Amino acid sequence: MPGISGGVVGGGVGGPASAPPCPFRPSRYVPVSAATTFLVGSTTLFFCFTCPWLSESISSVIPLYNAVIFLFTLANFCMATFMDPGIFPRAEEDEDKEDDFRAPLYKTVEIRSIQVRMKWCSTCRFYRPPRCSHCSVCDNCVEDFDHHCPWVNNCIGRRNYRYFFLFLLSLTTHIMNVFGFGLVYVLHHRHQLNTPHAAVTMAVMCVAGLFFVPVAGLTGFHIVLVARGRTTNEQVTGKFRGGVNPFTKGCFRNISRVLCSPLAPRYVGRWRSRQAMEIQPPFLRPSLTEAQLEAKILDNGIQNDRHSTRSKSSLDQMESQSADAEPPPPPKPDLRFPGLSRTETEESSLLSGAPPTPSMYKYRPAYSSPGRNHTVPSHPNKMTRGESLNSPSPSILQSSRQPSYRSEPSSLDGATVVGGGVGVRRGGGERGEGPGGPGGTAGVASGGVSGYSLTGRSYTSYPSSLVLSTGGSRSSSMRSAQTVLNPLATLQSEGTTDTSYKSLANQTPRNGSLSYDSLLTPSESPEFESAAHELSPLKPHVPFHPMAMGHPEAVSPSSPLQGYTSPFLSAQIAQQREGQLLQGSTTFSSPHRAYLRVVSPLSPSSLGPPEVHHLLQHNQDLSPRSPSSLSSSPGARSPEPPVSPPPRGLSLSKSPSYSGEAGPQHKPRPAGGGGGGGGGAVLGGGGVPQPASRPVSANHSAPKPGGGVKKVTGVGGTTYEISV
Amino acid sequence: MAETHSLQDLQQPAVSSKVFVQRDYSSGTLCKFQTKFPSDLESRLDKQQFEETIQTLNNLYAEAEKLCGKSYLEGFLACMTAYTIFLCMETHYEKVLKKIARYIKDQNEKIYAPRGLLLTDPIERGLRVVEITIFEDRSIGSGR
Repeated sequence: MPGISGGVVGGGVGGPASAPPCPFRPSRYVPVSAATTFLVGSTTLFFCFTCPWLSESISSVIPLYNAVIFLFTLANFCMATFMDPGIFPRAEEDEDKEDDFRAPLYKTVEIRSIQVRMKWCSTCRFYRPPRCSHCSVCDNCVEDFDHHCPWVNNCIGRRNYRYFFLFLLSLTTHIMNVFGFGLVYVLHHRHQLNTPHAAVTMAVMCVAGLFFVPVAGLTGFHIVLVARGRTTNEQVTGKFRGGVNPFTKGCFRNISRVLCSPLAPRYVGRWRSRQAMEIQPPFLRPSLTEAQLEAKILDNGIQNDRHSTRSKSSLDQMESQSADAEPPPPPKPDLRFPGLSRTETEESSLLSGAPPTPSMYKYRPAYSSPGRNHTVPSHPNKMTRGESLNSPSPSILQSSRQPSYRSEPSSLDGATVVGGGVGVRRGGGERGEGPGGPGGTAGVASGGVSGYSLTGRSYTSYPSSLVLSTGGSRSSSMRSAQTVLNPLATLQSEGTTDTSYKSLANQTPRNGSLSYDSLLTPSESPEFESAAHELSPLKPHVPFHPMAMGHPEAVSPSSPLQGYTSPFLSAQIAQQREGQLLQGSTTFSSPHRAYLRVVSPLSPSSLGPPEVHHLLQHNQDLSPRSPSSLSSSPGARSPEPPVSPPPRGLSLSKSPSYSGEAGPQHKPRPAGGGGGGGGGAVLGGGGVPQPASRPVSANHSAPKPGGGVKKVTGVGGTTYEISV
Repeated sequence: MAETHSLQDLQQPAVSSKVFVQRDYSSGTLCKFQTKFPSDLESRLDKQQFEETIQTLNNLYAEAEKLCGKSYLEGFLACMTAYTIFLCMETHYEKVLKKIARYIKDQNEKIYAPRGLLLTDPIERGLRVVEITIFEDRSIGSGR
């Protein structure tokens, strides 16, 4: 019975492709069971009670005709229920390995001269093709997603839309038949209505009449959709309300495509032919010089350099494009991170031909990419938002950034993190303001993160979260915002897994308060330590550096603003302190330097620029706060970006470079200086997660047990105590 | 003949990186891949060869999705038999997919494997990307 087996969602059934099984939820089967019961039950009663008289009195063709229609209805119903709607298998990790938080949330493609946005799906880990949507019920991306139909307990997509449409048509016809012939029977037996046959016929007529209205309405609706070449999803979300539908090819062609196009293949559950390919060197080369060969083969770094330049160009392109919604971004930083090998990622290829993409980044936490130093380089470019908002000193940021990377090549395991830091820094330099905020903070955050934690991939999410949350611009559909919502979790654990990011991504981007916790995760790295030294001469009024998130040491003991500067905080601080350069702050220091301690979650609205004054300190007396506190309220950090202001995003001040190289270049800013409040959340989290992977050597570790404790309110509403 | 081979010689070379050729959506949701030559392959493959491969794939996918008489007949027969025909007959698209798989295998054997590359059938990725795996060149003569 369809109802029973309705549980088999048309998803891939075990096959090599990865579409995860849906959890068993009995409530999902209620509508489909009811539909099946009504359909089969009523029709059976009709055939048993009404049809014998009809075949005798009128014609025997009637039951036959009704049987054919009923079988057709049932066949389409079964196909709509059990057929795979066109589920995309999850992308394998290596497909987006180079996509980290730098990548934008949306990519735009031009389809017949019309711009169509492709959104990053954090669950499935690819950019959704046009017309594809992720079904939350089935937890799958479906091609040409129409809707999820509870009556068949399946998504309706490319492969089974035809059957669904035919089911509706045939069901409407069947209902009309049953009702009509039942009416004929009743009219002929109106003086014998007390017989069971008549009673049953009347009952069947009632059921038919009851279902006729919604079914016919839905059928009419879908006839219009088919004629217009739209999906239910597009119609309901009003995608083409004011514009032109790029997918329509004319009424007749639309209809013929729906009804007559070849059945599309399944993507999941396919038998994979094992390619037993013998691939052994030496390989043929198309006239390469020996030097080129060597360069290419030898070193990841070299390759990365090439990549970085390429990615930079792609970033430039993106950056320029993303500025359409924001003030013109500051000059792009010079990305020269040795580890960035992003150019040839999926996205870069998409970018190359695509029109400007809104600056929404998907700040995904970097995956571990061993041997790749992606650190970011491209990322900062993407932080246009932040950059644009802030006045800049992107150059400073950049410069600070770069040295730090170079100085710590080894730590580039979390290349992404580093990159993030860089980006963050850039953002930090500028004031995180409004729209730029998210971008900026993210950038800033990433910068900070990058500073210290190469190992902590999770940090990359930090920046993004910072950006997102600080920016408070809900419109910024940063992928990272989504992902970062769950912030702290990622930061706290070293090397967070993809799942944590997915969960982040699944949250609404409006959640400006990406958990700062993620930002707070400190990680040890030599960079930070060196940075910490740099930070020591921080001036008290140095705006808080978003970058600071990282490093408690960086925050230099001397200034009250020591400690982390969460991107948010820094954003706030930066806002207040113009012109303060972001310094690459080694954001997270070793875990035992938890900078911030979440004191109490505040309402999001409580965040405000004034909070900027709070400094996040990571140092010293901040014993590693349990990450739990940080992660405590990802929820609290909710989306309110409210924290006003701009500072959030971008004021991530870069604490003195990780490597100390940045130091001289930038004014060391106390981590989390003023702006602390907003960013507090970010920093707070910091201390943590990383189990001091690297002993803090150089640094500054001397956390200076500081004087007072300042409360910093993070963007998310979490208050952190920072010991000064 | 006593000949020793180093383990390295016998192993499959390590994957150096992967290149993803994205879909080209400029003409709608038809399955078509970008023919833009990825820069990562510059040192391994000729541009013409790559473009020819992708173009052939695009043509094959266009053939698979074409609304021709065969697809009309198939749809009609399916309706008539209450879709039971799918139990015994292979759809037009699946037939073309097999053709594509054979073509990719052929290309791999003739062109890509000798150059340390491997094309992956895009159907395994949901027809979203063509994945080209670049293998490390560990040959002694490469001078590394």
